[in-house]
Amino acid sequence: MIGDTSILFQIAGIGIIVAMIHTILKQMGKEEYAQFVSLVGFIIVLLFVLNSISDLFQEIRSVFFYKG
Amino acid sequence: MSMEIFEVVSIGVIASVLVLLLKDKQPAIAYLLIVLTVLYFFLFVIQYVKEVLQLVVFLGEKANIHSAYIQTILQIIGISYVAEIGANIVKDAGLDSIAVKIELIGKVFILILAIPIFKSLIETIINIFPIT
Amino acid sequence: MKWFGALLIVFTLTWLGYEWSKKLEQRPQLIRVLKSSLQILEAEIVYSQASIMEACHNISQQIPSPVSGFFRQVAQQLKHEPISLYDIWDKETDRFCHSVFLSSEEKEIMKQFGRTLGQHDIVQQQKYIQLALTHLDRKLKEAEDMNYRYGKMVKSLGLLAGLFLAILLL
Repeated sequence: MIGDTSILFQIAGIGIIVAMIHTILKQMGKEEYAQFVSLVGFIIVLLFVLNSISDLFQEIRSVFFYKG
Repeated sequence: MSMEIFEVVSIGVIASVLVLLLKDKQPAIAYLLIVLTVLYFFLFVIQYVKEVLQLVVFLGEKANIHSAYIQTILQIIGISYVAEIGANIVKDAGLDSIAVKIELIGKVFILILAIPIFKSLIETIINIFPIT
Repeated sequence: MKWFGALLIVFTLTWLGYEWSKKLEQRPQLIRVLKSSLQILEAEIVYSQASIMEACHNISQQIPSPVSGFFRQVAQQLKHEPISLYDIWDKETDRFCHSVFLSSEEKEIMKQFGRTLGQHDIVQQQKYIQLALTHLDRKLKEAEDMNYRYGKMVKSLGLLAGLFLAILLL
């Protein structure tokens, strides 16, 4: 009934890998690249979330605010 | 209905485990994960809310209530629903003060939407008991 | 099919990272060989007083593969078309540095050195060889440092980037 939940795991995977890349880059003294990678990961996840928010709002609009 | 609760619970548990995993390394992504889970839950429950609302609309039509009133009621419920979602998500980020403001604005909007109904109610009462 | 594609992406990026780390590993080795070849050249010039052509030929037989090809080429070119040594050296350095992983700094050192080759007497030449060796020493230290610092990182970064892309596209 509930939609596709694999996106949760996908985002968790992205988060874990971004964290690992961040750690490795930080250990090698490339702070600025580490920060950049974190930002890119965050933006990608944010895109997923925005998509989901737009879905939800569309649904709400069709249920509550229809003009009929 | 009784099977879906298992899904909701299991998704909640899985999401919280994943959030715990990410929390100390990437708090921003962990927070987005929480947001996504909340959105999923609301998207899930809106299907059932829809059925209830259809019942309300059906009853209203049966009782010959003007469709504008039904629509206003629906909009009020919608505003409270959206405000609730927003307030919940913001509260998850630990920003209770913003959540309170969102709820406040939702209440104000509900009040504004209720004004026409209230007005017609007053008019009806005045028609029944005319005050010279 | 989806899993196959994901696996392909992971594999490719891992391999890319591995290749990069191999290049990083290769660079100090190449510089070391270049250094020893210059030392042999010094010995040839100072003690055997051989001509450049013979010296290059001798060097090419004493050192391992990628650098020996360079000296063999120089010797052969000198034998077949004896135009100016500097032109040949310059051209061959360009070609050599293009085929292996050496930065432009090493190329510049070798070119600078080639410009001095055969222009001076033995004592002066020895000084120039020493100068080039010192430069290469510095570069060697730098390359070793880079290999030590980034060799492992690049490998794991390749794997992680592959996983990242695969998860993103899945």
